[in-house]
Amino acid sequence: MRPADLHLKSNCFAVAPVPRDHAGEWSGIVTDVLSGNRRYLAIWFPFLPADRLRRNPPKSSASALEGVPFAFVEKVKGALRLTGVDARAQSFGMVPGLTLADARARVPQLLAFDADDHADRDWLKRLAQSCLRYTPMVAFDDPDGLILDITGCAHLLGGEEKLTADVSRRLAMIGMTTRTAVAGTSAASRALARYSQTDGDERAAIRRLPVTALDLEAEISLALIRAGLKTIGDMAIRPMAALAARFGGETVERLRHLLGEVERPIVPIHPPAPVMAQRRFAEPIARTEYTLTVLGELAAEVGLRMEQEHVGGRHFVATFFRSDGLSRTLSIETGRPVRDADAVIRLFRERIDGLSDPIDPGFGFDLIRLEVPVIEQLPAAQLKLEGEATIEVQAAALIDRLSTRLGRDRVFKLAPCDTHIPEQAQLALPAVEACSPVAAWPVTDTGEPPARPIHLFDPPQPIEVIAEVPDGPPRRFRWRGTWHEMRRFEGPERIASEWWKRRDGVIGKTGLTRDYYRIEDERGRRFWVFRHGLFGEKPDPKWYLQGLFA
Amino acid sequence: MTGFAELVAATNYSFLRGASHPSDMVARAIELGMTGIGIADRNTVAGVVRAYVALRDAREKLTGQELPPFDFRLVVGARLVFVDGTPDIIAYPETRLGWGRLTRLLTKGNLRAVKGDCILKFEDLLEYLDDISFIVLPATSGEAQQAHRKPVDYPSDIPALRLVSSSDENSLSGTLRRLRSKAPGRVWLGTSIGLVGNDARQLARLKRLADLVDVPLLATNDALYAEPAQRPLHDVLSCIRLGSTIADAGRALEANAERHLKSPAEMARLFRTCPEAIAETQKFLARIHFTLDDLRYEYPHEPVPRGRKPLAYLFHLVKQAAQERYGAVLPPKVRKSLAEEFRLIRKRNYAYYFLTVYDLVRFARDQKPPILCQGRGSAANSIVCFLLGVTSVDPLEHNLLFSRFVSEDRNEPPDIDVDFEHERREEVMQYVYGRYGRHRAGIAATVIHYRQRSTIREVGKALGFSEDVTDRLSGTIWGSWDGKDVPEERLTEAGFDPSNPRMMQLKELADQLLTFPRHLSQHVGGFVLTEDRLDETVPIHHAAMKDRSFIEWDKDDIDALELMKVDVLALGMLTCIRKSFDLMRDHGLGDQTLELDLEAADTAVYDMLCKGDSVGVFQVESRAQINMLPRLRPRSLYDLTIQVAIVRPGPIEGDMVHPYLRRRNKEEAVHFPSPAIEHGRPDELHEVLGKTLGVPLFQEQVMRLAIVAAQFSNSEANQLRRAMATFKNLGTIDTFRDKMVEGMVARGYARDFAERCFKQIEGFGSYGFPESHALSFARLVYVSAWLKCHHPAVFTCALLNSQPMGFYAPAQLVRDAREHGVEVRGIDINASEYDNRLERRKDDQLALRLGFRQIDGFRKEWAKQLVAARGAGFFHVEQLAQRAGLPSRALRLLADSDACGSIGLKRRDALWEARRTPQGILPLFAHAEAAELGEEARIELPTMAFSEEVVTDYQVTRLSLKGHPMQFLRSTFEREGVLSCVEASKATEGKIQRVAGVVLVRQRPGKGNALFITLEDETGITNVLLWARDFERYRREVMAARLMEVEGEIQRSKEGVTHLIARRVFDRSELLSRLTDGHPLRLPPSPADGAKNPSDPRHGHPRNVRILPRSRDFH
Repeated sequence: MRPADLHLKSNCFAVAPVPRDHAGEWSGIVTDVLSGNRRYLAIWFPFLPADRLRRNPPKSSASALEGVPFAFVEKVKGALRLTGVDARAQSFGMVPGLTLADARARVPQLLAFDADDHADRDWLKRLAQSCLRYTPMVAFDDPDGLILDITGCAHLLGGEEKLTADVSRRLAMIGMTTRTAVAGTSAASRALARYSQTDGDERAAIRRLPVTALDLEAEISLALIRAGLKTIGDMAIRPMAALAARFGGETVERLRHLLGEVERPIVPIHPPAPVMAQRRFAEPIARTEYTLTVLGELAAEVGLRMEQEHVGGRHFVATFFRSDGLSRTLSIETGRPVRDADAVIRLFRERIDGLSDPIDPGFGFDLIRLEVPVIEQLPAAQLKLEGEATIEVQAAALIDRLSTRLGRDRVFKLAPCDTHIPEQAQLALPAVEACSPVAAWPVTDTGEPPARPIHLFDPPQPIEVIAEVPDGPPRRFRWRGTWHEMRRFEGPERIASEWWKRRDGVIGKTGLTRDYYRIEDERGRRFWVFRHGLFGEKPDPKWYLQGLFA
Repeated sequence: MTGFAELVAATNYSFLRGASHPSDMVARAIELGMTGIGIADRNTVAGVVRAYVALRDAREKLTGQELPPFDFRLVVGARLVFVDGTPDIIAYPETRLGWGRLTRLLTKGNLRAVKGDCILKFEDLLEYLDDISFIVLPATSGEAQQAHRKPVDYPSDIPALRLVSSSDENSLSGTLRRLRSKAPGRVWLGTSIGLVGNDARQLARLKRLADLVDVPLLATNDALYAEPAQRPLHDVLSCIRLGSTIADAGRALEANAERHLKSPAEMARLFRTCPEAIAETQKFLARIHFTLDDLRYEYPHEPVPRGRKPLAYLFHLVKQAAQERYGAVLPPKVRKSLAEEFRLIRKRNYAYYFLTVYDLVRFARDQKPPILCQGRGSAANSIVCFLLGVTSVDPLEHNLLFSRFVSEDRNEPPDIDVDFEHERREEVMQYVYGRYGRHRAGIAATVIHYRQRSTIREVGKALGFSEDVTDRLSGTIWGSWDGKDVPEERLTEAGFDPSNPRMMQLKELADQLLTFPRHLSQHVGGFVLTEDRLDETVPIHHAAMKDRSFIEWDKDDIDALELMKVDVLALGMLTCIRKSFDLMRDHGLGDQTLELDLEAADTAVYDMLCKGDSVGVFQVESRAQINMLPRLRPRSLYDLTIQVAIVRPGPIEGDMVHPYLRRRNKEEAVHFPSPAIEHGRPDELHEVLGKTLGVPLFQEQVMRLAIVAAQFSNSEANQLRRAMATFKNLGTIDTFRDKMVEGMVARGYARDFAERCFKQIEGFGSYGFPESHALSFARLVYVSAWLKCHHPAVFTCALLNSQPMGFYAPAQLVRDAREHGVEVRGIDINASEYDNRLERRKDDQLALRLGFRQIDGFRKEWAKQLVAARGAGFFHVEQLAQRAGLPSRALRLLADSDACGSIGLKRRDALWEARRTPQGILPLFAHAEAAELGEEARIELPTMAFSEEVVTDYQVTRLSLKGHPMQFLRSTFEREGVLSCVEASKATEGKIQRVAGVVLVRQRPGKGNALFITLEDETGITNVLLWARDFERYRREVMAARLMEVEGEIQRSKEGVTHLIARRVFDRSELLSRLTDGHPLRLPPSPADGAKNPSDPRHGHPRNVRILPRSRDFH
């Protein structure tokens, strides 16, 4: 018996180095044994965006999604049109392509969200990852389906039906609506999942499919129907040459694929890694520490194999399969090949510590897999760091060191903010986080004195003032018990409040305006004071000292 | 204290920069006691007329109250913003000549730029600076402008695309020096105290500079709005302009609310260190002599032959025509009318105006083939217009008064609107440009205002609401709601809490922004023509439409300035009538003109209309009109006039329809409301309401009522009329309510009558018909009804060939024709042409042959190729492909539309053949290729079911001559006890019945208390009425159903019109998909009634896609 078969039985697809073929084409062990009699499972998510959104609802409308029909919209030629709907909206007759205005005219309570192809794609990717538990051959069926090559895998779960049921069950646990079908070609499984109305014999079911299942251009589909060819069966009994002459070679090609006369391989999302180890658990495990221990064991396992081959890994991928069907992938990359389990685990620990959203085990993991997709010969000598770092790199390094030593909340960098309100015009950010500023620092014209003082009090300090009404500067003011006589002044600089931050509407309630003055006292000291409120706004406005000029 | 005038005031015509209406700026300036105000918007004078009108109205009001006039000057000009870094310069013309220079300068800038932008450089100003005074501001507010790629009729100098940063040359002192040397004594340096901190230093600096270059300093506040409370609105406008949200806009917003109009005392206080700057405003004001009153202008002289005097020539033309019509000796009545009209024309010097319109009409009629045209509107009151052939109704026959067209008390220019065939109007417009030159002819602007939807969307966006929220608020529900603010119910309806602070902000700001001008667009066809350069009266812009240019004043501005304009309008029915006449001539049915049967006295025509048989007839084909026809029973042209005018918002909202009908049917005595005996003659309304049995129906009757019964003065009546015209935008009409209602009540009229009259005025708002206008339309009603009555085949053919127009889709028009006994023949490759045409039958009747234009997506040139290659006819599909050189798409469309019947191919077989013809072979190889196609084993295709044939007909041509989709569902409905339309029309009144049909039209007219739904099946139509209170419950069904079942009570009016008063509504559209194996069937949408026709869903499965096309809906 050939080794591949053995591995299939243990459901461990690969041991050490199998020559990698070019990406996109499966030429691994499985094909060698079982080609010619393949089985495909197609999974269709009819409400992919809706199910995704329901699982991760936007904060603002988390509760609003309950029991409300919703749809996704996209601007097409100036009109917002539906691109996807949820089941409830569909039951109300909402279909993609309808304009939002039309849809709302019919179902006013319809919620609309922006279509997010990237999020959909990411979600589909995660779903695809989670299906890797069944077979390494998982392919996208864009935009809202997956196709699994389950050739030779089904018996592990007790046959195709059980496997299909397990897939549906797990996906249902995370809220995915699915339709599935198994057939001998990828096209047939896909068409059956999406178009078949009946169960039963696979061959007959395929022949009963409507011609639209060929996914042809609308014009060709319609022409086929007009010609009276309404099902795949109608087409199959007519000469292919006559069909090709009228409806194009592509039509016939697809028909033959659907009928199983030709085969097109699927393109798996990633080919199996050259080195891999995994562990299944009868009881799902949930504790992070234990998870890491298992990962360590797997690392030791692959390390051992790599040592035999004199290679090291540059890229390690750990996949944690949750019992509810989801999976989470972590990967680390190294500058040089590594096979030391401790080093690998150290990197994984750092990676896990640095995660913004920790790995949620849910009800526990029932499968953990460690793959090493990139391997290289492990050289004997160590690499040297060469070349000189730039100033920025050095500064960044300094900031890293200082922040690590003093604490990240103690090293700041000021960032400008685009607002007229002085105390909000800059922001102290932890220096390690600071990125490029959004706004520019205000520029003072040459020859002009600085418009803002070097020191700002936060909060501003109340002062007692003797001043002219309505908008004269303070003649005298008392700050911290001392009276200051005004000798020279400039102002007012009038800064109105940011009315949009007020909680009580707009009209007549825009908040207090400040009048700022630069004041020089008898000893030449310069202050920045303001009156909080105009006399029209408030009967007796208060004065504050907000800053000191150098 | 010397006076102060704010000379740098922007209005909301500085789009997205100014935050107050011009009228508010003027009113506030007067209120603050300024001696004047200068309105200067960014590179435009679009708002100045509004300011001018506001001041005029304020003065009129005082005169009305017998108060002394106040001393206040309005000076108008523009803020010139340059692209080369030159500081902004405010320009005020001192004289009429200066105004001409300013407008030419702006025109120059406009024509270089794409619509809405203006590219000016300092050098341009130097060419046009005489007779203008300038205020130079310290800085530029310029922005990059977009250059026009092909400036119309303009020497191509290099347009400055980008802003050039300010060099020394353009710096403030440089600009001041250069400008001062060219315009000595006419340059000021404007300065403002914006409370930005360094004002004192800034002022001192500018003072030094002013002394240095020897120009006086002038105090201003560079105002952007009238009152400080408008700062939030201004911030929001800035956000809209910058495309940012209020939270992100930051320092791009003004720091404070100081840029409002400030009182002279406040300005004096701010400028206490420099009082001379305040005094300069008065010196400046004193220099400006120009007012908009000076814009008297001359009408083009072209249409008068050399050596003739305009008035004499006009008289000559009119007299000739009069003698032709009335005989060599004119009846005294005619002589009297002509004398009166000519007296006014001479006095007001209108001869040129009449001759210009005559010239247009003559041009249209001289074309080969001629373009039909007819005047509409109040011009029909003039016998001169009638005799010149501009209008088609003899005013003497209908006792129309010339004074309603032009009157001595009303100081207003005449306004002649002429309709032309809609397909050929562009020829007339280009003739106007060609004849008068682009520099002398311009289309009026239309100011596009912020409406509810756009306001909420844009304010919402600026406040940072997400798009789904604003869409939900603005777009979801039916149409827009009229009025001045956003009703709170609208918020509640959309599921928002109106007391939420953010919602309050949105609502308050949206309320303020509503009615703001948004941008300028071109009017549909109102031309302003001048003898001199038009661009010396008003700046000209590029229109977005190719080869069009327009001026920046709209219809109201033009009226206010008493400029004259000619409306060159488009009317689909004229196209249809012309095509009918052409067809009649071609088929030996006589040579007709619009003058056919001037007496309009054919009883057959009226018999037809009285039955409500008016599908396709001009103006009276809507459901509401069809229902009204049997009740009103028109028997004369004047009855038609009333018919046209009565089904309009004015009379309906004024509740005048039923009283009129009762009186007409002699169920109620004709009674004229009268004042109490001590207030006047009891018959004072006889003259006003005599023709309409004591019920006011026409616009001018209501106006006369205001004068006669409520004793409005002429000028008040004028204000009322103006308010009526602009009612939608400004909401000033309310101020007249009390005056009119109380005035009438005080004089002893019933309050109820007075209030209904006023309601009617409101309803007229923009949809009122004056009598003369209704009469002109009634002529076209008669002509089109005559055609329908006597030549139904001709009429239907012409209607189909003039699509899109009117109320009905081709399917309904064809159905109507067949019901009138016209044989309609299907499209056929051996018989059809592009247009629908008529064929002589063996029995000499005319049959209608459908043309290729009925096939969706079939191109005109394909049809031409096909017809040219037809010769003795085609015998098989390959021959068609080769000889006509048609692309395979054309062949497939022909096969799909079952047009190969004459070569013995059914649709399915034809399609099988057509698809086999390879795409895109060169003609040279076509023959060789054809041989290879020859042999192929015969392939049996399933026969096409009859229902599928019908459905495919609808899919391809939107109509079927074979049947109606409903007939295939009849047995299903019969089993369920659902009636057909014809059964429903015979059902017992008061019974609860169910009817199902395809939805043709959904309408929610007027105030929206009820919805009217028209259902169609193979037997006819059913009118469904659904009360608005039930609508919410069945909203989805009503809006989504293409096949609708309605349960309700049968109601029948005494004229025999049946309605189904809906109680329950069901969406049965899924039945339609059964007919078609689940692929889409499109039933014809009805084109008119303001329906927004969303196009087909873009993708998705054919089985999900809709089966029937859109009906005609309201939104």
